[in-house]
Amino acid sequence: MFYVEIDGLTKRYGASTVFEDIRLGLKQGEFVTLLGPSGCGKSTLLRCLAGLTTADQGRIRVDGQDITTLAPQQRGIGMVFQNYALFPNMTVVENIAFGLKMQKRSAAETAKRVAEVIRLVELAGKEARYPHELSGGQRQRVALARALVVEPRILLLDEPLSALDARIRRNLREQIRDIQRRLGLTTVFVTHDQEEALTLSDRIFVMNQGRIVQEGTAEAVYTQPASEFVARFMGSYNLLSPTEAGRLLGVELKGHLAIRPESIRLCEPGEQYSADLGAPLRAIIRQHQLLGNIIRYQVETEGVSLQVDHLNRAADDLLPVGSEIAVVIDRRQMREVH
Amino acid sequence: MRADRFHRCVVVLLSLLLTVPIMATLLYSLSQRWEATILPEGLTLAWYGQLWHDERFQAAFSHSLLICAGSLLLSTLIIVPAAFVVCYRFPRLDRWMNVLILIPFSMPPVVASVGLLELFAAGPLPLVGTPWILLGSYFTIVLPFMYRALADNLRALDIVGLMDAAYLLGASTPRAFLLVILPNLRKGLMASLFLSFSFLLGEFVFANMLVGARYETLQVYLYSLNAGSGHFTSALVMSYFLFTLVLTWLATRLSRSNK
Amino acid sequence: MVADAVSARPRCLRYWRAMLLLVPMLALLALFCLAPMGWVLAHSVQGEHGLSLEHFWVILGSPFYRQAFDNSLRISLYSSVIALLITLFGAVSLRRVDGRLKNAVIALTNMTSNLSGVPLAFAFIILIGTNGALTLLLRQWGWLQDFHLYSRNGLILLYTYFQLPLGLLLLYPALDALDDHWQEAAALLGASHWAYWRHIALPVLAPALLGTFILLLANAMGAYATAFALTSGNFNLVTVRIASLVSGNIDLEPNLAAALSVLLVALLALVAAVNQWLLKRSYHAR
Repeated sequence: MFYVEIDGLTKRYGASTVFEDIRLGLKQGEFVTLLGPSGCGKSTLLRCLAGLTTADQGRIRVDGQDITTLAPQQRGIGMVFQNYALFPNMTVVENIAFGLKMQKRSAAETAKRVAEVIRLVELAGKEARYPHELSGGQRQRVALARALVVEPRILLLDEPLSALDARIRRNLREQIRDIQRRLGLTTVFVTHDQEEALTLSDRIFVMNQGRIVQEGTAEAVYTQPASEFVARFMGSYNLLSPTEAGRLLGVELKGHLAIRPESIRLCEPGEQYSADLGAPLRAIIRQHQLLGNIIRYQVETEGVSLQVDHLNRAADDLLPVGSEIAVVIDRRQMREVH
Repeated sequence: MRADRFHRCVVVLLSLLLTVPIMATLLYSLSQRWEATILPEGLTLAWYGQLWHDERFQAAFSHSLLICAGSLLLSTLIIVPAAFVVCYRFPRLDRWMNVLILIPFSMPPVVASVGLLELFAAGPLPLVGTPWILLGSYFTIVLPFMYRALADNLRALDIVGLMDAAYLLGASTPRAFLLVILPNLRKGLMASLFLSFSFLLGEFVFANMLVGARYETLQVYLYSLNAGSGHFTSALVMSYFLFTLVLTWLATRLSRSNK
Repeated sequence: MVADAVSARPRCLRYWRAMLLLVPMLALLALFCLAPMGWVLAHSVQGEHGLSLEHFWVILGSPFYRQAFDNSLRISLYSSVIALLITLFGAVSLRRVDGRLKNAVIALTNMTSNLSGVPLAFAFIILIGTNGALTLLLRQWGWLQDFHLYSRNGLILLYTYFQLPLGLLLLYPALDALDDHWQEAAALLGASHWAYWRHIALPVLAPALLGTFILLLANAMGAYATAFALTSGNFNLVTVRIASLVSGNIDLEPNLAAALSVLLVALLALVAAVNQWLLKRSYHAR
């Protein structure tokens, strides 16, 4: 029995289908991500969950209660918008207190809960500021606090980090995850960034063209892509066509072969490697790219270009472009995808 | 969906509210009789025929056209170089110009005509009762609109760059202005001219108070009819309205193709 | 030294030549705007024996002139408020309809903004005047209540009509300041439609609404042609009084007209100042 159940949800605009027959279930307290490229229908699905858009078919149940036709006001769902949607005429405190004011809570209770949540999102000292006087990260915290203070049953996050710069983004996402765990809040997060999805989620639903194409834990979605689309979307996968795979590894396949860059090993001449990984292939280094703790090599072998990730242990490890080496592909880590 | 229908209803109602007087006047001007029936009786163009053959109407219309065209010519000749000079040579004056052009804009015409009547009734410049005083006062009406339009247009142009380029190619300042800057201002200028023309044509206060019957304009003539024959008057109202309609239509077309 | 003088003189010359191009504009402005304004100011305090405020005392002490101010203020206030409400609803709805209808209505609004003054008054006389087509129709059906176009209510109706296009053209772009996500965020926090408007949309729009209201009010206070044409100058408004004191057939009292003018402009300036003060206090200023 799931806490949130979406059953056969369909949304169309005229002739075009936004998503069709979506079925998914969330457990209570789970952090779930809808991951997909822009236009895949993930944001519209989120809006249907919030009641901001009405679906054409299907049901949504929360805790056994059918909320499909309920107005947004009655759903008990909190949401953080991509552009924050803070009310510009209200201070930080007024923004956060707005939901409690709508519920007609007493002034004392409001003050107490606003103070709590301000401490939770670390906004102390900014209470009297207006949104336009805050930085992007601070605005995001206000938006989060505003959604949390009414103690929603579900928290929806619509690409909440995409407008922030990288360092603040990493910092804030850890904090969001931390608060979510502490409150045990069922959370749906929408993003197109697979790195964000992988680091945050208990489970990921990958969406493409209005359908859920794969669901599973972050680990499972990353290591076992169910389709060529997922493999491509999850990032740096090497995808070999059937003919390339046959030429390189002597296997006969119908679909593409997905190989993660970190499952390929570079062997310098004379280096020992374990025999059960398969025979080494002769390769030439075409390019290298330093990504902090790893080095990403572009190597060419048998006319096939491969990306290989190598742990960056020391600066003198770097292999020069043009050097000849051997690569070993870990056959246990390869997957055929369609 | 229900909200959509509600908004459509509001918009349609508002449009009806705006069009009813115009449609009624149009119908009235095209009908022989309209008394106590929903629709008028007998469609006719006779009122328009009568109007357009009326000598007093012809005279008033040509007076109006002359005065409007004259004031706009005067305004263009004075404001275009002035706006250019401010934007190019004295950009810091622009702030003061904005304050200055606000004065005629914020003074009701009735108030201005009190001073104008007394100042120009006699003395060195006895202009009251002549069309010349309208030229001057219409200039002050046009100034805020035309100056703002031109200044915005010029600011969007990078005139310093254009002028420098023209200098390097050997042009003098007046030549550079005429050949490089002016063609770029044409559309914005024309749009503001058409708009100004349509509201100068509708100007009544100055025309009636400063000149009146001594050089009768369209609005003064219309007023003097005092709604005598409703059909004839509405033919005049509609003729005037359609004329300004064409002018505003031209203005919006020009300002749209400008973007 | 010599070289300096040579290069300095053309720059100085250029400066003055450029300044020369501003002279006609400033001269015309001075002659037809500043000078009349100065005349009005100077003569409003010109008594029979030198400087005095006697005209102002006459105006303030006269029930007739007080009534003119009362009428002008009431008609302007009512017509501006009504027009503001109608255009606010209209502009909000206009943003929600599809593009073609929207463009058509904006074009229509531009069009009707030309119908003001004398033609407007006549159009209304033809429609709902004493012998207007609609009046006769309603009278025949027995629906006509006691409505006189030539009364204060009639003037409020006419003023509202000519305020509508102006209000719509000013308010419509101002509504871009509203972000649709605010309404959604408010709804998720439990706010009804009305609560959203009360707590968020109206406060955000307040400066635009106030600004539009001020312009409408000033527009109505200064209006003369419509009322003059509708009632042949028989309705007691400030602008009608001013005009009749300088161009009527009897009782020409230009100094009194000047004092009335000063009071009218001062009233408008006061309203504008209050607007500025309110703006400064709003969150937008921070």
